[in-house]
Amino acid sequence: MENAEATDESRLFLEFNQMDEILRLESVSKTFPGVKALQDISFDLKRGEVHCLCGENGAGKSTLIKILSGAHQPDEGGKIYFNGTEVTLTPHSAIEMGIQTIYQEHVVFDAHNISDNIFAGAEISRRGILQHKEMQRQTEEVLRYLKSNLSPDTKMSDLTSGEKKIVEIAKGLVFKSNVIILDEPTASFSSHEIDTLMDIVRKLKSDGIGIIYISHHLEEVFEIGDRVTVLRDGCKVNTYPIEGLTKTTLIKDMVGRDPATFYKRERVPLGEVILEVENVTGNGVTDISFKLRRGEILGIAGMAGSGRSELMGVLFGSAQLDRGEIRIQGNVVKHSSPEDAIRNKMCFITEDRQNSGLFLTQTVSDNVFVANMVNTRDFVARPSDVLRTGEKFIKLLNIKTRDARTRVSNLSGGNQQKVVLGKWFNTNGEIYIFDEPSHGIDVGSKQEIYQVMVDLLKKGVAILMVSSDMPEMVSMSDRVIVLKRGALAGELAGNEITEENILTYSIGD
Amino acid sequence: MRAEETTEKKANDKKSFSKRFENRTVLSIFLGFVAIIVLSQLIISGGSQYPTFISPVNILNILQQVSVPGIIAIGMTMIMISGGIDLSVGMLASLVSIITALGISKWNLGVAPSILLGIGSAVVLETIMGFIISRTSVEPFIITLGGMITFQGIALLLCNSREVIMQGELGFLTTNLIAGAKDPVTSLDLRLPPYVLIFFAIALLGGLLLIYTKYGRRIYSVGTNPHAAYLAGINVKNMRLSVYMIQGLLVGIGAVMLLARINTGIITLGQNLEIDTIAMVVIGGTALSGGRGNIVGTLIGIIFLGSIGNAMNMLRMPSEVQFLAKGLIIIIAVSAGDISLRISEFRARRSRQAMTQKASQ
Repeated sequence: MENAEATDESRLFLEFNQMDEILRLESVSKTFPGVKALQDISFDLKRGEVHCLCGENGAGKSTLIKILSGAHQPDEGGKIYFNGTEVTLTPHSAIEMGIQTIYQEHVVFDAHNISDNIFAGAEISRRGILQHKEMQRQTEEVLRYLKSNLSPDTKMSDLTSGEKKIVEIAKGLVFKSNVIILDEPTASFSSHEIDTLMDIVRKLKSDGIGIIYISHHLEEVFEIGDRVTVLRDGCKVNTYPIEGLTKTTLIKDMVGRDPATFYKRERVPLGEVILEVENVTGNGVTDISFKLRRGEILGIAGMAGSGRSELMGVLFGSAQLDRGEIRIQGNVVKHSSPEDAIRNKMCFITEDRQNSGLFLTQTVSDNVFVANMVNTRDFVARPSDVLRTGEKFIKLLNIKTRDARTRVSNLSGGNQQKVVLGKWFNTNGEIYIFDEPSHGIDVGSKQEIYQVMVDLLKKGVAILMVSSDMPEMVSMSDRVIVLKRGALAGELAGNEITEENILTYSIGD
Repeated sequence: MRAEETTEKKANDKKSFSKRFENRTVLSIFLGFVAIIVLSQLIISGGSQYPTFISPVNILNILQQVSVPGIIAIGMTMIMISGGIDLSVGMLASLVSIITALGISKWNLGVAPSILLGIGSAVVLETIMGFIISRTSVEPFIITLGGMITFQGIALLLCNSREVIMQGELGFLTTNLIAGAKDPVTSLDLRLPPYVLIFFAIALLGGLLLIYTKYGRRIYSVGTNPHAAYLAGINVKNMRLSVYMIQGLLVGIGAVMLLARINTGIITLGQNLEIDTIAMVVIGGTALSGGRGNIVGTLIGIIFLGSIGNAMNMLRMPSEVQFLAKGLIIIIAVSAGDISLRISEFRARRSRQAMTQKASQ
């Protein structure tokens, strides 16, 4: 028994010489159709080191992780070395080498217990019979190593998101880990859970595991990082040792885009206040207050997971408002469902067009007609009226489609987005929420959608815009509020709206 | 005014064309089936006899046989377009027939109150199921399967596992509206009972509801993408509930008509009705996944499935073969529908590519 434990222990503690290089990338690039996601990246990781990756949304961090985990293959010419030998990474070979990637979203089987999750796909069996006791024992051992009090037969669905993250780390350790990649591990963590995770990372580090740590929270980076690499628009800007590094330097490196990517927007004189939000709390956001005027675009900035979309859900009635008040044109409103919000002249252009904005197998006119049904009292909806409504918005928004009876699934991304716009135009709404308005559409359509937004403003409409696209945020917004961990981190107006200021609020402390 | 009228007319023309196109596959398979049967009859008789399969008396026969499952299939179409399913309709129909028969012959409630009691209980029971389906995330398949078994239990308890014989109190539903008319081909008496007309009236209403009302459009939206429907201001829960309530009403009406035909309330009355109605609906092109389907297709499915058994009898095939034929026809009709859909989608994509190429040139 003692013997067995000893061998298992040694499986956890890999023999290593401090500061040996374990992973090296040389001029790695990655091209997707039409996009250069990574350009000439060089990067290295030593044993027992925490190497942090920083950058805005879309800077190329996720692509880099996916190359390291073998999910994406780099373009020709890039080289990857593992322990000094050149390798090709596939999902299988990456795991063989002990490169464990722990993604932001939990990849777990909620209905199963911890040990079943850890051994899923690699069950220990003897003559075809599962060795539950052995798996439980090994699970227990790793959990103790991670200083966790969880029991191996706890169901995953009973765990908090912090505990789930620990199970995912444990899964990597049960087998073999030389490198652990943590992608935004602390999103939706409580502060206590963050401390626990920091302790775990320190322990892994002291046992010689190389850690790549991606976080939007600079305080975490400064707490446990040894080196920091900054990416911007798919390129590496710099790699710094943490000693002597300041937040200002980091943020300066993360911003600084080509001014050509900024859209020159026409300004519209502001009108009366149309929407007032006071101490709104619920759905993961706390105490948010702001005012919105007619003719104004209020940008809602913040890193992914900061509660931007969650706030929009509360305003639009698709999530519950726990506390606080929403006033539209001075009247207190209660939105218990989107139906109420649409009646109160709100429109919501969601980020995930295909899943929450469109009826893909239905026609263009069906899609355009659907939302305004709330506002009319007729029982009858004649097909010819529906068709005419569709044709009207095809003309108005210049939607490229064969006719109004074409299924939306046959349209391109930009034209699908215009169909969503048509759906809301038809309701004559006055408060528009644009969640990532130009997400996944080409440059030409982007300009058209920006123009549509400005045209709306001229008609006295007010716009709330959630965006991770910095040039879009800076060039389109009249004012910006920045969210961090579900709370208001700052407000910017006029010349204060710069990438640097937005970033300082969203990732600083 | 004139201009508006012509554009509207044009729009309507286009619409009816596309509707026809939607059901083209199943219609052509059905017509092919009819042609084969007629041809076989002609060959067997050496061309000397008018094929009895398409004689007026036989067509009316088929209509009488399909009226009850037909009415329930109309409700099933709406449920399935909204993304649900209802396995309980057969046993619910048995239960309603037993309640109504008991009301008339044992509890002496009178004919009209008994009918209302039967239909009312169907509506209540479907509403309960619809409530659970729309308010929880449990699959409609499971809930209605449970409902089916529960209804069977209630029905058996009510009638002590015995049949409830009536004295023809519902005869008014089966009177012949065209008494005395003779079939010119076979010179047999023609029969057209009122319930056939009720079936057509319900089919017409169902079709109009789906195409010409906001309610109908919402059913499609909920079935296509419930999340997007919710964000577009549709009360998805109540929509889901309402289709089951409508189904309750239709099952109630159908069960009373079935009782009128058989004159006995018995547990086997609604047996296999759920299988038959679901088969009719899917033959008619409605997708199990929701969002797609229409009443015209279902009507073709109803008459198609109903005429298979009849045709086999005409050709003196043993009843064992009928199951085989029914099963094969369901498989052929549904997969042909899917194949033709894929072809049309492929064509649409190609024409779109051609269009964008043209545009970029």
